[in-house]
Amino acid sequence: MFGRMIRGTLVRQWKKMLMIAFTIALGASLASAMLSVMLDVGDKVNQELKTYGANIKVIPKEASVLSDLYEVEDGNAGRYLKEDELGKIKTIFWAFNIVDYAPFVNAKSTLDDGSEITVVGTWFNHHMDLPTGESLDAGVASMRSWWDLKEGSWLDEQAGESADCAMIGAEAAKKLGVGAGDTVNVSGSSADKQLKIVGVYDAGGEEDSEIYCTLDTAQELAGLDGSIDSIEVSALTTPDDELSERAAKDPSSLTVAQKEQWYCTAYASSICYQIQEVITDSVASPVRQVADSEGAILEKTQLLMVLITILSLIGAALGICNLVTASVMERSQEIGLMKAIGAHNGSVSLLVLTEIFITAIIGGVAGFFAGFGFAQIIGHSVFGSAINMRPMVIPIVAVLVVIVTLIGCIPAIRMLLRLRPTEVLHGR
Amino acid sequence: MKKRRMFIRMITASLIRRRSRMIVALLSIAIGATILSGLVSIYYDVPKQMGAQFRNYGANMILTASGDSFRMSDVQRARAVFDEDEIVGIAPFRYENVRINDIPVVAAGTDADEAKATSPYWAVDGDWFSVHGDVLIGSGVAESFRLKKGDMIEIAYTPEGSDESDGDDEVVLDNYDYFNVVGILETGGSEENYIYMSMEDMEALTQTEERVDVTEMSISASGDELSEYIDEINAKVPAVHASVVKRVTASEATVLTKLQALVLLVTIIVLALTMICVATTMTAVVAERRKEIGLRKAIGASDKSIIQEFMGESMLLGLFGGAIGSVLGYVFAQQVSVNVFSSSISFRPLLVPITMIVSIAVTGISSLVPIRSATDIDPALVLKGE
Amino acid sequence: MSLLELKNVYKIYGELHALDDVSLTVEKGEWVSIMGPSGSGKSTMMNIIGCMDKPTKGEVLLDGVDIAKESKKNLTNIRRDKIGLIFQQFHLVNYLTALENVMLAQYYHSMPDEKEALEALERVGLADRAKHLPSQLSGGEQQRVCVARALINYPEIILADEPTGNLDEKNEEIVVELFHKLHDEGTTLIVVTHDPEVAEVAQRTLVLRDGKLSKEIVNEHFTGKIRFDDQNPF
Repeated sequence: MFGRMIRGTLVRQWKKMLMIAFTIALGASLASAMLSVMLDVGDKVNQELKTYGANIKVIPKEASVLSDLYEVEDGNAGRYLKEDELGKIKTIFWAFNIVDYAPFVNAKSTLDDGSEITVVGTWFNHHMDLPTGESLDAGVASMRSWWDLKEGSWLDEQAGESADCAMIGAEAAKKLGVGAGDTVNVSGSSADKQLKIVGVYDAGGEEDSEIYCTLDTAQELAGLDGSIDSIEVSALTTPDDELSERAAKDPSSLTVAQKEQWYCTAYASSICYQIQEVITDSVASPVRQVADSEGAILEKTQLLMVLITILSLIGAALGICNLVTASVMERSQEIGLMKAIGAHNGSVSLLVLTEIFITAIIGGVAGFFAGFGFAQIIGHSVFGSAINMRPMVIPIVAVLVVIVTLIGCIPAIRMLLRLRPTEVLHGR
Repeated sequence: MKKRRMFIRMITASLIRRRSRMIVALLSIAIGATILSGLVSIYYDVPKQMGAQFRNYGANMILTASGDSFRMSDVQRARAVFDEDEIVGIAPFRYENVRINDIPVVAAGTDADEAKATSPYWAVDGDWFSVHGDVLIGSGVAESFRLKKGDMIEIAYTPEGSDESDGDDEVVLDNYDYFNVVGILETGGSEENYIYMSMEDMEALTQTEERVDVTEMSISASGDELSEYIDEINAKVPAVHASVVKRVTASEATVLTKLQALVLLVTIIVLALTMICVATTMTAVVAERRKEIGLRKAIGASDKSIIQEFMGESMLLGLFGGAIGSVLGYVFAQQVSVNVFSSSISFRPLLVPITMIVSIAVTGISSLVPIRSATDIDPALVLKGE
Repeated sequence: MSLLELKNVYKIYGELHALDDVSLTVEKGEWVSIMGPSGSGKSTMMNIIGCMDKPTKGEVLLDGVDIAKESKKNLTNIRRDKIGLIFQQFHLVNYLTALENVMLAQYYHSMPDEKEALEALERVGLADRAKHLPSQLSGGEQQRVCVARALINYPEIILADEPTGNLDEKNEEIVVELFHKLHDEGTTLIVVTHDPEVAEVAQRTLVLRDGKLSKEIVNEHFTGKIRFDDQNPF
């Protein structure tokens, strides 16, 4: 009989129940959309912040102190990093967080007119097949997103004809009077080369007076076969907190457990540490300009989203509460009648609760999927990629819907329990 | 007019005597209005506040000498171009080659407070230089000279024109000065290989008059505004050449646009859902009164007057809800701003009427449908059944 | 001309003939009861006379106007101007005071007039309860407010649907007495009821059965001045 009564309400009052389900669905979709976006916004913004370029720089141990300071001539001072170890960066614990990296080798060269110019060898869109089966196109094409291409095109390493091709900075191009398609003769410390200019870029910085070519070309110029000067790494990192600051200052002050935690968190400092482990004789350090600012912006964005999420959750909760209260109160007459024919408070409450909960479950499930859709709309239109659905959203939304519906029922049920059947039945 | 008084009397009676139901409706409208005004305030404030966060990336504009060098007065003139509250920091730098223990090092003279503002990411272990004789040294320098906080160093400077080439017959003496290392600078960039001191100390050490090589400016303004400022500075101050730091400005523009789009989209979705929530609640609240509508019709009310009365009531609720919501929304936006960005939000007076109009419209429209459907049915049917 | 005239009125719902060829006339100032078991078509007839429903077929002349041909909107106006309704369930607006409920009828009719509304409540003996909400009034009192509301606009006809159905005997007496008073003042009364005691006090009682008028009883003892506290004539 109980089941029959519930079925009766759901079927015959389907319009009202539909409205409740709809509101609960709205609330649930709001909650699940906002929670998913909130939980994923860190990663997404982090990706966006990669436009600022590398946040980790790797240099040889010896050169780290000396090179800039003494402005020593190339070749003499310090050691170099090994080119064949580059692939190892993608094998560290946080390999998945390394989104991009590029090696650099500087060849101080002379132009025809005797003036000096720096020829930088690097990756442009170096293709790598990773042992995990994935592939990655790494290099300055993506790490120097702020470069404005003035003329020609980006150097395409994968095209095959890339040897002896180069891109030139806008200022250098102006000084030399060359453009895309022209050639420039440069003589390095161990070889002379005729570089074919494929593109002119405007970087708004020092790079404007330099020439960028492939790693091989620059290595030949400088006679540094298989060696590189530095590596820039773009990694997704977790903003620094107390633990990472302590680790950065003095790793030995950490307990074993803390060290474990630090190593297994994507702090810039722990990624640096792991890079140092795989690249011989290297010093990896966070580029503070990028790493710190990233941390600040990420933190603010996340906090902002958390607060907006809280607001919308409160809004959704109160909205559902309200409607449930309003619609249960509406049925006072029917419930008065039930009490008149001998229903106990307990069974009346149980009936109302069951009805509302069946409705809530239907609404909640529909809302969850709608919310997932909303999250994807946000993800695709803002970041151009899907929002990852965290499994934890499901229980949170479920608990939220249950609690909110319960709270919404409380005032209504209290009112129903106070009802005296006579009052309801004899024209209020 | 007597009729209007009765109208008002009825509506107030309904609002006051049906308190519990009205509070339910009012609460729901107020929540909607709060979310509306709160999110819109945040949406308008995000570019400004986030822009300020992006200033963490350091200078977005630099001044270099168009000729040989320029002076502080030129920097001041360039500074006058901006609104004072747009300036985050304007730090002049003067670079000189000095020597420590006869090993050459680049020293920079600057203004500590301004440099702190333009480069908030500089991590200093210890203090910035504040009094005469203080220096801040890069961690690279500290490591190679084995220096630590509190050490005294002797810095030597060879005056201009005393290069080895023409030092044959003239004996030019180096300038010496003793400095106290007050802090070690870490940046992860080339700054770690420099030493920093105040402009005055630099002038004293070099015994030359003031000079500026580069000025870093951190300005909270968008890319377009920046290029306008650059044109203005280049026109007004001939001694300097202003340019944007493309890496910072271009990236800021991309990320900021995305962030704003994110907040916009979130605002739209949250608002749309909230408004629908408000609408369903209003629908439920009105639908509950079908019987009353039937009665009013039975005793001779025309559809028009019923719609007028019920709409009047709903819109009054919308008005109150909107008013409450605009206040709460402002409070919420303020809280967000203080908690997230540690700065207060500007009050937008225009948002108050907009919030009220939107909540009146939403409540009005969402009540109209059930009122209409209630007036359409026969009073006899409504009066007889439940 | 009769005040109300039904000529061969049918109301058909699908197979069911709720009213089947009903004809009747009610003169001005008359007090008529309509009786019948439930399902006999009483309510349908009441709705049609009360301008809340239209017949499927036939003429309903109210003051010479055929309401069967009027638009819905005009029906509302006719109802407002000519008919005062009294319901079994009272149907008072529960958040308005007794006085305001009476004024509501004035408001829709013409102009609310607090003094006049108070007078109407006085006539039904409720002047001292004018400021009470329906929930604070007893059933009988609520019904008297209904009566006051029905007569406030001086309607041509007062149409009462089971006016005593929810009342105890004492309140029933009070309401019937009110009807006598109204009748004495010349108001036309149509009372739909299935309580013979209430029906019998009218001048005429029409009995409906299966949608047809089956019987008409004329109360020959009707004097128009009968009081319940007087000797019962039956």
